Amino acid sequence: MNRKRYVIFIALIVFMLIVSGCNRSKDSGVNKGNDREIVVGLVSEPDSVDIHRTSSTGEANIPLYDTLLKQDNDGNIVPNLITDYEVIGDGKEVIFNLKEDAVFHSGKPVNAEAVKLSFERLVSSSPFSTNAGDIDSIEVLSDYSFKITWKDQFAPFFINATTPFLAPLDVSVLNAKGEGFEKNPSGSGPLKLVKVNRGDSLVYEPYKNFDWRGQPGFDSVKFRFIPDEETRILEFKKGNVHVLLDVPYQYIEDLEKDSEVTIKRVQSDTLSYLGWNNKQPIFQDVKVRQAIALAIDRESIIQNTLNGEAQAVFGPLPKTVFGYSEKIETMAREKYTRDIEAAKKLLSEAGWNETNKDGVVMKDGKEFSVDLWVDDDPANQRAAQVIQNQLMEIGMKITISVKEAATIIEQTPKGAHEMLLWSYGWPDADVLNFLLFGKDKSKRLHYENEKIYSILDKAAIEMKQDARSKLYEEAQEMLVEESPFIPLYVKENVTAIRNFESFEIHPINNTIDWPSVKVSK
Amino acid sequence: MSSYLFKRIFTMIITIFGVSVLVFIIIHLIPGNPVNHILGDFATEESIKELEMRLGLDRPILVQYFSYMFQAFQGDLGTSYITGYTVVEEILNRIPITAQLALYSIIFGSITGIIIGVIAAVKKNTIYDQLAMVLALIGISAPGFWIALFLILLFSYQLNIFPISGYDGFYSLILPSITLGLGTAGSIARMTRSSMLDVIKQDYIRTARAKGAGTYRLIFRHSLQNAIIPVVTLIGMQFGYLMAGAVVTETVFALPGLGSLIVSAISTRDIPTVQGLLLFMAAMIIIVNFVIDLLYTKLDPRIQYE
Repeated sequence: MNRKRYVIFIALIVFMLIVSGCNRSKDSGVNKGNDREIVVGLVSEPDSVDIHRTSSTGEANIPLYDTLLKQDNDGNIVPNLITDYEVIGDGKEVIFNLKEDAVFHSGKPVNAEAVKLSFERLVSSSPFSTNAGDIDSIEVLSDYSFKITWKDQFAPFFINATTPFLAPLDVSVLNAKGEGFEKNPSGSGPLKLVKVNRGDSLVYEPYKNFDWRGQPGFDSVKFRFIPDEETRILEFKKGNVHVLLDVPYQYIEDLEKDSEVTIKRVQSDTLSYLGWNNKQPIFQDVKVRQAIALAIDRESIIQNTLNGEAQAVFGPLPKTVFGYSEKIETMAREKYTRDIEAAKKLLSEAGWNETNKDGVVMKDGKEFSVDLWVDDDPANQRAAQVIQNQLMEIGMKITISVKEAATIIEQTPKGAHEMLLWSYGWPDADVLNFLLFGKDKSKRLHYENEKIYSILDKAAIEMKQDARSKLYEEAQEMLVEESPFIPLYVKENVTAIRNFESFEIHPINNTIDWPSVKVSK
Repeated sequence: MSSYLFKRIFTMIITIFGVSVLVFIIIHLIPGNPVNHILGDFATEESIKELEMRLGLDRPILVQYFSYMFQAFQGDLGTSYITGYTVVEEILNRIPITAQLALYSIIFGSITGIIIGVIAAVKKNTIYDQLAMVLALIGISAPGFWIALFLILLFSYQLNIFPISGYDGFYSLILPSITLGLGTAGSIARMTRSSMLDVIKQDYIRTARAKGAGTYRLIFRHSLQNAIIPVVTLIGMQFGYLMAGAVVTETVFALPGLGSLIVSAISTRDIPTVQGLLLFMAAMIIIVNFVIDLLYTKLDPRIQYE
């Protein structure tokens, strides 16, 4: 091949590559302007749409599923895929009666046998089977009736059954290995998955057999994954994205000035807290823990780091969680409203005094100096800086260490941390047991208190809701007094929308109420 | 030539093997593991152990490594712990976008860089030279995310010429390619200038000029052709930088390529995906540089591989 032919050959290859790239793909992430198509912009793609294999749930995979029970707008648990249920005897057995008109996206009925198979897959292969409790057996009583028997009573089941983790999925679409759901998913939720563009978008259509309370108000929904904040905002401002989830706080004011944009605020169910490893000697004295609580000014953190888009929380549970008590919240607020002098006094009583006039308190020749772990979220880092300043006012020296979330998740159960800024979100007070303060379950706080263990264990098997609430109130009262962590705030989930006749977000679970969504004509 | 080829291919295999060992060690040294990511707040001691067993993470490290490499040599890079997709599937899904992005960036960077470099060399010590070198410096030093946002604001948001983000064929890759190619252009411009200046001083250029060769022929036929070898070497080396730069560019432009995949895989500690992707990228860089070495013989017949 002479040189000229060689150059022509390379040029031809380059040209062909460019031409091949010129074809606009039908399902690309770029909006083509279909009037009845909704484009939702969000930060990241869920790990999987298979709810039995991922804890990463969000707007992009939740609508695939319909749940056995649901929470109404006031937080009450009401039937959804079931018509009713009956608790038998001591509560270890519950009979559920299913609606007879629910259908999976594959066209198969959501009957007792299908629900049983879904639960069996959950129990045998899902790492999230603890959400269903320790199930002994599931018995099909008739086409649309089944009985679950637990080894022990499991009171949180009913609220857990309002989350997608326990939603029935259609196991008939799985391959021989019991996998492949992510390529051929079938739930019974309002949206049916049409196309997966890995890394780019998930495309859904309204599922015709779902109860839409009339006709669906749109033809399709595309969830676009746009990780960069600025790019996401520009796409929304340009009109290519119609629903912008988790609007960064610094852009809210700007978006509110646009008359075509509506901002929706819903209080999140995720509580941010300042915690610490309670096994560390420095945090053993309750007076030290209470002093930290008294030194924290939540409003200042909220205003300086979240543009005021959050609600201060003083008690261990936020308002949207079952087990929340107004009495506890008031009690905690009265006890721990910021009081620097009282905090210093408590520290002094615990033996921590400023001796060498550098502003840092000391005890037995040792400075009060701790390392605060925070993830790489910019708002959390700013909050950590405010906390650092507030604690310095009572003589506590805080060093901030920014760590990847994956590192914090792995290291904190091992007790490698001293202090951390973290959060939790779960709709039931059992979170106090399985995540925060249960025996051998206190993953990040490492708090040990036999009395609290006992109350939380009792609450987990108490089937009467009133009695259960009372037990959680008792536990929370002790937690407020003991101050093993400091609840800080729940953020507002801010969503920006444009061109909708109606659009509602559930006030408790923060998900889009798809039957209410209607695009403007 | 054949013994050279044999030696190079052998070296390439050893290099890829070395990369695989390094990647494996690093991914196991950094804190955080996929089991904790998958289980999230629902992790219990039993569920962690059970999932580790299911994913094969409870086996000794050496067993995990050799089992991985054994499968890799058969073309199986494993299955993502997080998504359930095979790593080969993920790479095949996303490689077209990253490959196009790298290709267009190289084309843009090379053409722009060579033109700027030639102008700077020919107009040495004039305002054109200084301007060209300032442009090259900006290309090298301006952060990719800043250039990307600037281009988006100007050409997509204000002038409405290109899409803001997402993949939609060649058109949607123009701004990302410019973003990624600017750094390459800067480096190539500086290399072209210095290489051209060396060549221009040579006796044969003076001879050609004395024989009446025109400016165009003098620059492109006699000077640039002799100055191009170090530039081509640099283009090969830039391929590695482009792969790294693609991580930022793909994130800002929301392009579903290999760069954005590796970011999410690292944050979720998805070991098979990270390993597979890094091995693949390393292999690509090694192969591209190998091809460029072979190109030398075509560009300069004096170069012979014995």
